[in-house]
Amino acid sequence: MNDTAMVEPALRLRGATKLYQGTAAISDIDFDVAPGEVHALVGENGAGKSTLCKVICGAATLSAGELIYEGKKRAFDSPQDALNLGIAMVYQETSLVPTMTAAQNIHLGREPMFSTHKSLNIRAQHLLQSMNFSVDPKALVSTLGTAKRQMVEITRAIYFGARLIIFDEPSASLTPEEIQHLFLLIEDLRRRGVAVIYISHALEEALSIADRITVLRDGRKVRTVRASETTRDEIVRMMVGREVARTRASERRIRDRGELVLSVDNVVSGTMVRNMTFKVFAGQVTTIAGLVGSGRTEIAKVIAGAMKRRRLRGGTIKLDNRPVRYRVPTQGVRDGIVYVTEDRKMDGFFETMSISENIYLGYLAGQRQPLLVSRKRERELARNWSDKLQIAAINRDARVIELSGGNQQKVVIAKSMVQKPKLVIFDEPTRGVDVGAIEEIHKLIGKLADEGVAVLVISSYLPEVLSVSDRILVARGGRIVEQFDASAATEEKIMFAAIH
Amino acid sequence: MSQAQAMNVKRRQKIDVSQEQIVLGVTAVLFAFFAIRLPGFASYGNIITLLNSVAQLGILALGAAIVVIARGIDLSQIASMAAGAVVTTVAIQSGHGIAAAMALGLMASLAVGVVNGLIIAFIEIPALFATLATNILFYGLLRGYVQKGQSIAYLPKDATSIIDLGRLRVFDIPISVLIFTVMAVLVHLLLTRTVLGRFIYAHGDNPEAARLSGVPVRPLTILEYALSAVVAYVAGILLLSTTLSVDSDIINSTMIFNVILIVVLGGVSLVGGRGGVFSVVAGTLLIGTMLNGLTIMNVNNLVADMARGAVLMAAILLDNRLHPRNEETARQGE
Repeated sequence: MNDTAMVEPALRLRGATKLYQGTAAISDIDFDVAPGEVHALVGENGAGKSTLCKVICGAATLSAGELIYEGKKRAFDSPQDALNLGIAMVYQETSLVPTMTAAQNIHLGREPMFSTHKSLNIRAQHLLQSMNFSVDPKALVSTLGTAKRQMVEITRAIYFGARLIIFDEPSASLTPEEIQHLFLLIEDLRRRGVAVIYISHALEEALSIADRITVLRDGRKVRTVRASETTRDEIVRMMVGREVARTRASERRIRDRGELVLSVDNVVSGTMVRNMTFKVFAGQVTTIAGLVGSGRTEIAKVIAGAMKRRRLRGGTIKLDNRPVRYRVPTQGVRDGIVYVTEDRKMDGFFETMSISENIYLGYLAGQRQPLLVSRKRERELARNWSDKLQIAAINRDARVIELSGGNQQKVVIAKSMVQKPKLVIFDEPTRGVDVGAIEEIHKLIGKLADEGVAVLVISSYLPEVLSVSDRILVARGGRIVEQFDASAATEEKIMFAAIH
Repeated sequence: MSQAQAMNVKRRQKIDVSQEQIVLGVTAVLFAFFAIRLPGFASYGNIITLLNSVAQLGILALGAAIVVIARGIDLSQIASMAAGAVVTTVAIQSGHGIAAAMALGLMASLAVGVVNGLIIAFIEIPALFATLATNILFYGLLRGYVQKGQSIAYLPKDATSIIDLGRLRVFDIPISVLIFTVMAVLVHLLLTRTVLGRFIYAHGDNPEAARLSGVPVRPLTILEYALSAVVAYVAGILLLSTTLSVDSDIINSTMIFNVILIVVLGGVSLVGGRGGVFSVVAGTLLIGTMLNGLTIMNVNNLVADMARGAVLMAAILLDNRLHPRNEETARQGE
C-alpha cells in the first residue's frame, strides 16, 4: 500500500483468516486504517464484513494471520480487551441500556468510584457539548430517537478513549437528515485523529464519507480503492464480479408460469413491509432478492400466517383467487402454504427428537390426524424422505442436533414437504449449508417446481438467486422495486436495484 | 477440536439417557442405607406406608409433568385439586347425588385449568405469573363463595361410595397407590402413543418451530393445563376419600413445591421437551424414601425441610448442566 506509508496505520491486518468449523468466513485479508481516516467496508451479505469487524473489536480471534494495533501485534481475548486499548464498536441496533439515562450509559462500566448523579450528568454534559451533540444527559435512553442514541453511543466511545471506532451499518435506521448529522459527526471524529471503519450497504454513503473503500466478496478482499478515484458502478462490479459463466441463467430452461397461486397486493406489516405487491405462479420458482432488512422474511411470515399484517388497509393476500388472512400458521399449513425458516436452530427443528420423529411431526401437524401415533407410518415417511433428500446419517434415530448443517436443513425441508404443500416458501434455503448439500437443495427446489408446486425463494446470495429462479423480484425498503425474467437478469442488475 | 466436541456430545448424551437412572440409583442407595440403619424399614408394611405417603404427590406430579414437558409450569395445580374436592363436598352437603356432585367438582377443576390455558395461550402471559394469579384467585373464590368463609369442608357420612373408595385395598395395597399406578400408565400412554403427546413434546422442545409447522399451539396450551387440572381433580377426590374432609387452606401450603420438586428431580427438564412418566416415578420414589426414612429416624422437621431443599437444588443444578438454556446452546453452536 503506497498511501499508508505516509501515516503509520492505527490498525493493520495481515493475511487475516478466520475459520468457523473448518470453513473460512474470511481468508487472507490485508486491511489497514490510519488515524484520521475513514475506511469503508462494503460487500454483499455474507461477504465477511461482520466477521472482519468481530476480529478487530475482539469478539472473535484470528485463526491465522496477524493483527497489529498501534505498532504492536495483538490478540484480543474479549471485546473488553479491545475496548481498553481504544477500539470501540457502534452497533446497528444500539447496545445501550434503555432504562438508564444518557449520562449513566456514557459512564456505564467506567463509573468513577465515588460519584453522584449530578457529577455524572455534568461530566456527560461536558462531553456531549464538546462534540456539539444536543442530547439531554438526564434523558432516559428509551425516550431518545435512533440518531440521538447513536450520539450517546459515540460519546461513550470517546469517553472510553476510543482511537478506532467501527460503525456497523449506522445509517440503516436513520432518516436522510439524521444521516447528514451522522456524517458531520464522523467528520468531527476524523479531525480528532480517530480512525474510523464504516460498514455500509449504501454505496453512495460510502463514496461520500470514506477516504478509502475496501470491497469484500466471499470472505476475500477484492481490492482497496480511493473513494475519489472510483465510481459506484465499479464498486458494484467488484462486489458481485464472479465468473460470469456460472451465473448466466440462459443455459437453463426457464419454466413458464402456471396458474396464479398467490397474489400479494399492497400488504403492510409493521415497519418492515410497506405496500408489498407481487404474484407467485404454480410450476415456477419465484425468488425475492434483496438485502437483509428489506422486508422479505416479514412478508413471507405474513403470507404463512406466522406474522400479522396491518388490520386496516393492510392490503390483500389471495390464495387461488380467494382472499385469506391467517391468524396462526396452522391455518396456512392446512391451506397448503409452508414456510421453511431461515434460522433452523431457532425455529426449524426439534432438537430432542430424532430425524424420523421430526419428519413425522411435520406430517402430524399437516392435516387432521387420527388420535394415535403410528410407528409404522413414522418409519415409512422417514425412509422415503431420507432417500429422496439423501439425508446422510448413521441411522434415522439419530438426533437432528448431531447432524451437519446441510443434513439438518434437509430434515427441516422434509418436515415441510410431508405436508404436501402447494406453495412453499424457502427463506435462505442454503444458509450455513455445505457446498454439496447446496447443490442438492437447489435440485430439490427445481424438482418441486417441475411437479407443479409454486415455489417462493428468499435469498441474499446472488449466484443462488440466478441459478434457481425463473422469475426474480427485488425487494428494497419493504417494497418490490424491480422484476426480472431469469433470462434477462444479471447479478449487476439485481444489485443495482437492491441498493439505493 | 471437532473430536473433542464429538466426545462432548457423546458424554452429554450418555448422562442424558440415564438421568432417571441416576435418580433411581440414588434412591436404591438411600433405601439400602435406611434398611441397614433402621430396623423394620424394609418391611412390606413400611414399604406400603412409604408408597402411600407419596402417592398423592406422585399423582399431582404426573399432571404437572405434562405442563412442564410443554415448557410451562402450573402453580395453581393445588387450587385445581382443592376446587374439585371442595365443590364435590359442598354439592353433596347441599343434597346433590354423588355422581352429579363429582361432575360439578370436575367442572370446577377444569375451570382452573382452562382459565390458565386461555390466559397463557391468548394473552401470552408467562405461565409462572398466570398460574400464580389464578391460584390466589381461585382460593378466594372457593373460600368466599363456595365455602362461605369456612376453610374445612367435611364429607357427609352418607357419601358412602366415596368413603368406601378411600378404604379400598387390593392385596393390602391402598387405593392411593393403585390410583397412582393407573394414572401413571394412562399418562405414559398419552405422552408416548398419542398424537397429542407428540405435540406436547414438540411444544416444549421448540414452541416457535411447532407453531410454524402448523401445530395448533393455542388449543394445545389450553389442553395441557386442562389435563393438569383433571389429574389434580383425581388427586383431590382421592384426598377427600382418604381424609373425609378437605381444607382449602391446602392451596396456601408448600404442597405445590413438593410436586415441582418431584417433577424436576426425575428429569422432566424445565427447559421443556424432556423426561416422561418414568422420570416422575423415579422422583416420587426418591422423595418417598427420603421422607419416610427421615420420619422413622425421628429427624426434626426443619432438618427434613433442609434435606428436601438440598435435593431440589441438586436436581436443578443437574438439570442445568445437562440441558443448558436454549440461548446458550445456540451460542455454543456458533
